[in-house]
Amino acid sequence: MKSKLLILLMMPLMACVLFACANTNSGARIHPEAVTGTPNCTECHTDAYAAMNHQAVDFFKKHSIFATNARRSCNSCHAESFCSDCHAHKEELNPNVKYSEAVERTMPHRGDYMSQHRIDGKMNPASCAKCHGRQNNERCVTCHK
Amino acid sequence: MISHQEEGSGREKCSLLRTAWVVLAASSVMLAQPVLAADYTITGSSNTYLRMTRTISKDDLYPLYEYLRFSVSTAEKDGSSVSLHLGAWGRLDLVDKSSDHYTDGDLQYGFLSYQGAKNNLVVNVGRQFVTEGVAAERIDGLYARSDFAAGFTAAAFVGQPVVTDPSYKGGDYIYGGRVAQGKAGLYTIGVSALRNESDVARDREEEGVDVWLHPVKQVDLTGRSSYNSITSGWMEHAYTLSVAPIDQVTLSADFSRINYSDYFYNVTTTAFALKNNGGALDPNEELTTYGASAAWTPKKDLTVAAEYKKYDYEIQGSGDYVGGKVAWTAPGALSLGGSVHRMIGDSERLRYYDYRLYALKKVGHAELGLDFYNVIFDRPIDGVKSSFALTGIAGYEVTEKLKVGGDVEYSQSPDFDREWRALVKVAYAFDMKTGEKGGKSEK
Repeated sequence: MKSKLLILLMMPLMACVLFACANTNSGARIHPEAVTGTPNCTECHTDAYAAMNHQAVDFFKKHSIFATNARRSCNSCHAESFCSDCHAHKEELNPNVKYSEAVERTMPHRGDYMSQHRIDGKMNPASCAKCHGRQNNERCVTCHK
Repeated sequence: MISHQEEGSGREKCSLLRTAWVVLAASSVMLAQPVLAADYTITGSSNTYLRMTRTISKDDLYPLYEYLRFSVSTAEKDGSSVSLHLGAWGRLDLVDKSSDHYTDGDLQYGFLSYQGAKNNLVVNVGRQFVTEGVAAERIDGLYARSDFAAGFTAAAFVGQPVVTDPSYKGGDYIYGGRVAQGKAGLYTIGVSALRNESDVARDREEEGVDVWLHPVKQVDLTGRSSYNSITSGWMEHAYTLSVAPIDQVTLSADFSRINYSDYFYNVTTTAFALKNNGGALDPNEELTTYGASAAWTPKKDLTVAAEYKKYDYEIQGSGDYVGGKVAWTAPGALSLGGSVHRMIGDSERLRYYDYRLYALKKVGHAELGLDFYNVIFDRPIDGVKSSFALTGIAGYEVTEKLKVGGDVEYSQSPDFDREWRALVKVAYAFDMKTGEKGGKSEK
């Protein structure tokens, strides 16, 4: 019992020591230059940020890992609404409807998606479930009783 | 499996009310802050959309949407900051008032955030989207993360899951975290866990490992494996390797494996439920995908890419998706692009061509564009062999803060025959800054 109590007391203390020892400078909260369009991060960055090149053909596949590792970097350019446009709790307008003029962006619901969703859902339902498995699926019940 | 099948109750409303109270209380503190702080930034936007469309049963719908986004952040002299972020939408249907659902709305996010000047310390409270390893969750709750010594970072969150639950309940509590170790610019390896439960059921128990390896400038590997402790099986492995032998060329390969019985164990809709839980998905199905792509950028704004993906199913056969795309993007001036892909699957539905062509030209304060998307099925679906949507786009920047625009879409598909839809939008940005430079994109 004593040893458990000691461990419980030591843990926050250890965390404080490790926190104090880290002493890293936080990343920029706001990107020094306003960025428009789909940026090629390699134009300015030669460090780890270059790997986040948004024009890379596989950026869409990797963006979840970057959001895990470097959410603060994402937030330096993107407002919170950028995530919620797709990763929505409850949403009725698809991103490609709201941003029809952003023709260059990767958006998974282009065209008439009502008929296409049956094909995509058969091809890889896990890709749908990431956004609709537990959120933003109220309208599914119209057909999926 | 899912033993708590209940229709959505008032839990969501209670949760929303609690969040609203937290956000309101936080707002009152925040509103005093800009006066005291060295620098502050207020950003906000109002986006109004009027959509003109019809239901599948040919009833007219004219929903009017209003999206409001608001952020205020203070930058303290020591480099830390406190900020408040709010985003919500509301909808009113101008024609169809036949049901209780002609109005609706949602608080998308609403949280107070503290960001420390050191150790990338972040503490958020309120409704927020958490991305930590296996967790990509919207929660009403508390989130904290920080750097620690020896390249370690740690994050933890606790709260109520913000889910929609049309068929099954999504649990009452959620908590989890991630610990990672890495060297800046070289690698990060993280382990994460998530628990989601209610008083009567274990909804989710997931653990995961994620990696990012960047040993040299030209090589980048990202990936994640997630494990379901309730079913004792791997839900998903997903890894992507990128190699850039020269600046103009990027090669990419990806692999993923999904076990349906573990991955779809706990969803809130029958659309993704397993057969043994009232859905259509076979719990014995396993999907393995292998993909490869090559992109060539001969000029700064031009990209030419070829891609291939193999879908290998344990039960329903296999499919190959192959194609290419070309994109020319001169920011603020012209976007041109096109793509063509062929899907060749064992089942009839998975045999089709898809094409896309788009062009958007900006002239002064105006922009005009066309977007055409076409799917040609090998075998007609409901008598339709070619499904397409042609969209005409127009926009005008009235002032730096006010933009109006809209689009008209003509489509044909198995569900809609020669259908017209239209959208009108008005976007207004209200920003105010002192001291801080740079900017964020709402898009």
